[in-house]
Amino acid sequence: MLWVDKYRPKTLDKVLVHDDVAQNLKKLVTEQDCPHLLFYGPPGSGKKTLIMALLRQMFGPGAEKVKVENKNWKVDAGSRTIELELTTLSSTHHVELNPSDAGFQDRYIVQEIIKEMAKNRPIDTKGKKGFKVLVLNEVDKLSREAQHSLRRTMEKYSASCRLILCCNSSSKVTEAVRSRCLNMRINAPKEDQIVKVLEFIGKKEGLQLPPGFAARIAEKSGRSLRRAILSFETCRVQQYPFTNNQVISPMDWEEYISEIASDIMKEQSPKRLFQVRGKLYELLVNCIPPEVVLKRLLYELLKKLDSELKHEVCHWAAYYEHRMRLGQKAIFHIEAFVAKFMSIYKGFLIATFG
Amino acid sequence: MGKRTAIVLSSDDDDDNDNDFDFDFSVKPDLNRFNNPKSKSKSKSASVPRSNPKRSKKTRISSSSSNSRSRSHPGKNVNPFDEMKLFCEDFGEGFSGFKVSAGYRRDNKELWLDKYKPCSLVELAVHKKKVEEVKVWFEERICITKDEYCNHVLLITGQPGVGKSATVHTIASHLGAIIYEWNTPTPTIWQEHIHTTNAGLRYLSKLDEFENFVERIRKYGLIPSSLTEEVRKPFIVLIDDLPVINGKLSYGRLQRCLDLLVQSVRIPTVILMTDYGRSDAADYASKCWEELQTSLQKAGACKVAFNPITGNSIVKTLSRICREEKLKITADQIDVIAKTSGGDIRHAITSLQYFNLKSDLKPISKDATYSGKVSHKIDHLDDGYSLPFGRDETLSLFHALGKFLHNKRDTENLPSCDMDSVFLKEDFTRLPMKMDTPERVLGQAHGQARPIADFLQENVLDFLHEEAMDDAWVVASYLSDADTLLTSLNGVLSRNYEAENIIQSTAASVAVRGVMFGNRHPLSSRWHAIRRPLLWQVEQSLWRNKKEMVGERSIAAYNCVNLSELSTIAIEWRPALKWLGSRVSEYNSPRKGSIGGKMVDNNCNMERSNEPCDDDEDDEIEDW
Repeated sequence: MLWVDKYRPKTLDKVLVHDDVAQNLKKLVTEQDCPHLLFYGPPGSGKKTLIMALLRQMFGPGAEKVKVENKNWKVDAGSRTIELELTTLSSTHHVELNPSDAGFQDRYIVQEIIKEMAKNRPIDTKGKKGFKVLVLNEVDKLSREAQHSLRRTMEKYSASCRLILCCNSSSKVTEAVRSRCLNMRINAPKEDQIVKVLEFIGKKEGLQLPPGFAARIAEKSGRSLRRAILSFETCRVQQYPFTNNQVISPMDWEEYISEIASDIMKEQSPKRLFQVRGKLYELLVNCIPPEVVLKRLLYELLKKLDSELKHEVCHWAAYYEHRMRLGQKAIFHIEAFVAKFMSIYKGFLIATFG
Repeated sequence: MGKRTAIVLSSDDDDDNDNDFDFDFSVKPDLNRFNNPKSKSKSKSASVPRSNPKRSKKTRISSSSSNSRSRSHPGKNVNPFDEMKLFCEDFGEGFSGFKVSAGYRRDNKELWLDKYKPCSLVELAVHKKKVEEVKVWFEERICITKDEYCNHVLLITGQPGVGKSATVHTIASHLGAIIYEWNTPTPTIWQEHIHTTNAGLRYLSKLDEFENFVERIRKYGLIPSSLTEEVRKPFIVLIDDLPVINGKLSYGRLQRCLDLLVQSVRIPTVILMTDYGRSDAADYASKCWEELQTSLQKAGACKVAFNPITGNSIVKTLSRICREEKLKITADQIDVIAKTSGGDIRHAITSLQYFNLKSDLKPISKDATYSGKVSHKIDHLDDGYSLPFGRDETLSLFHALGKFLHNKRDTENLPSCDMDSVFLKEDFTRLPMKMDTPERVLGQAHGQARPIADFLQENVLDFLHEEAMDDAWVVASYLSDADTLLTSLNGVLSRNYEAENIIQSTAASVAVRGVMFGNRHPLSSRWHAIRRPLLWQVEQSLWRNKKEMVGERSIAAYNCVNLSELSTIAIEWRPALKWLGSRVSEYNSPRKGSIGGKMVDNNCNMERSNEPCDDDEDDEIEDW
């Protein structure tokens, strides 16, 4: 088992990073009925961990006995039936799924699953907790229609099920849905918190951590705890005992992007732009999200850039990032950004060095 | 029996007393095909070989009057080739070909197409070399003893109206050969079908009939009746139209049948195949035709491809007709007709007749202005729809893309820029384009916004000047605008098609004009291959990879407790697992290999994924 899973806190009491949030959740669940919840925060901040711990708190260890299955759904949508396949992860008390996997048909998924869950409502002997929990991931990637239908079904079936929504950015969730949930903001852990976790794991594994080593990993992780633990484990595999100057290797796609960035800095021409496009395609094919590519590319470019230009470059990056979200084919916009950067940089070079 | 009228109407519309017309003999029209030369005498005077008996009577009258005119009717030259269709006695004359259309009632309204059918090799508008090729082939097959050649099949291909059939007929008549012709029989109408099944006759599909025909030809050859004089004349079998096939099964049958034909037939056989334009290449059927051609060639058939007829030969033919009809049509007008016909002589002659009709109606004074108009229009011939006749000009998508990408500009006529009422800054002025407005070109190429934008994005960088980084940005930003426009209506619940249309065309025009505007320093034109957008391929592999990831996730390869987002898998789990290589095996042993070197591996991935779908992709290019 990976350390990320091995040292995932199982109960709300053992949570290390967002212990205050955990305690509040515990109080919420034990003292009264649980409302719909919306967890939002950057990746690697511990949303899922909290949700799992919360489910355990609510239903006991039974919530941990999960099975993964590929379910087929037949949705009757007026004149036609739509068949969808979706991976779900479920226990007797909850179902977890990524409705955005269904693409543009996501709204059918949302409606249908909630309806079905409402039908097979578990009846407890005590008459209590007669509800199931539906965990929906990536709510921010749901289409507008799906979010609307989510809102309606939420109201209609609120007696029989609770929703726990999970997303990165609450701004992409409609107001209507947000106002029906208790919003939980999960911040990215601070670097010293990450260091604390890493040291905890190191102690459990019986490792010798040279001073400052955990801090370096934390710094490289971009405040994502998952990433920090993953790269910690990677370092462990690569070299142990740790040395103080051990290289903490970046992810391969990050390396690749920095390569692209140095390509861009070296030459600015349509030909080079074409080569860059080929490399970008390779990243995209590997499912690296285009937003991440653009962000990382900007980061790498800024590292090598004269401070005079930074402002303008950032402006254009933001502009094309927005365009990318409006548009359909990300490469058009990333390429436009690269072209703009090349054109700015070239102009700058000519102006300074003649 | 009330159903009968429908059939009769559809088959013969200018027959007034059709009530006693028994249509039962139309059940197996092809049976009539091979038949008794005795009935020949009846059809001898038919102006068109495949005419209906009743019509032929009428034409006899009409043609006798046309005899009085300077030129005798071409069909009247009692050439054996006109008797290619010999009718069966008991069924009355062949009922099968209905190529004749109305217009036989008055002799001056005859179709010029039939009237001026070429009757000698000189009159053929087809290129001489091609004619010669076909002729030599025939001569070799006919004059030399039969067993010397192993292949007796000639395959002639070409666009519609390039004179394939005419060539064969003319050469046959030149060589004095008799043509036995297969024509796709008239389609069976539903009522007819019901009637015949009620009468106990088994339905034969056209393919069945064709198979029977080929079988007969193959096994027995032609058995001429020994009484007639035609015995000594050579025979030619002409298969004008292969039956339309639908689906893999019938394709296989047809192919087998033709293969057998090629291998074993002993009589010179000509198969005519019509090439359809690029625009039709998308549908499955035309793909089949291409495959059939290659398989026929493999089987040993000799292929001659006819090109569209050149403008000059069309002009020649048209002016010949004008001379004989004593028309007052200027050379310019003939030129225009020839140009718009697109190498289709049948179309050109019809246009001429139509044009003649028009100018007949007008008084002479107006005629002068009219012709003036036409000659004015000649300058704008590229407009495509300037003429009262002729077909719309179409461009292939590649042609259009080439125009956009090469971005040819006028460099000489500079002063005309100053005429513009709006004064633009120097940055924004461009030389006038050496082409129609981009929107019109788009319309001619039937370009859709999305593929146009994709193609432009893929290819435009090749056409930019090496140093022109700013241009590249301008182009890229316009393409980004176009993409944004294209998506702007996605996800609107009630689809508004009109708005969508407008957005589509706007996006296309933004993309095209952006590319043309942005490219300020176009390269001097040289040969460029236009690539198919790599993006499509990327999207396919991306989709496949995503599916794979979803699959992996469901085996709980990454996280046993909850579902991770795909992006997290791609960004964090996969690379980390790669580093932890040795431990990966226990998580997902089947995929260990491919997690190995990610970037490299994905290269292979992309290539591998391309191979199987290569065919599809090539086709995609073709139909754009």
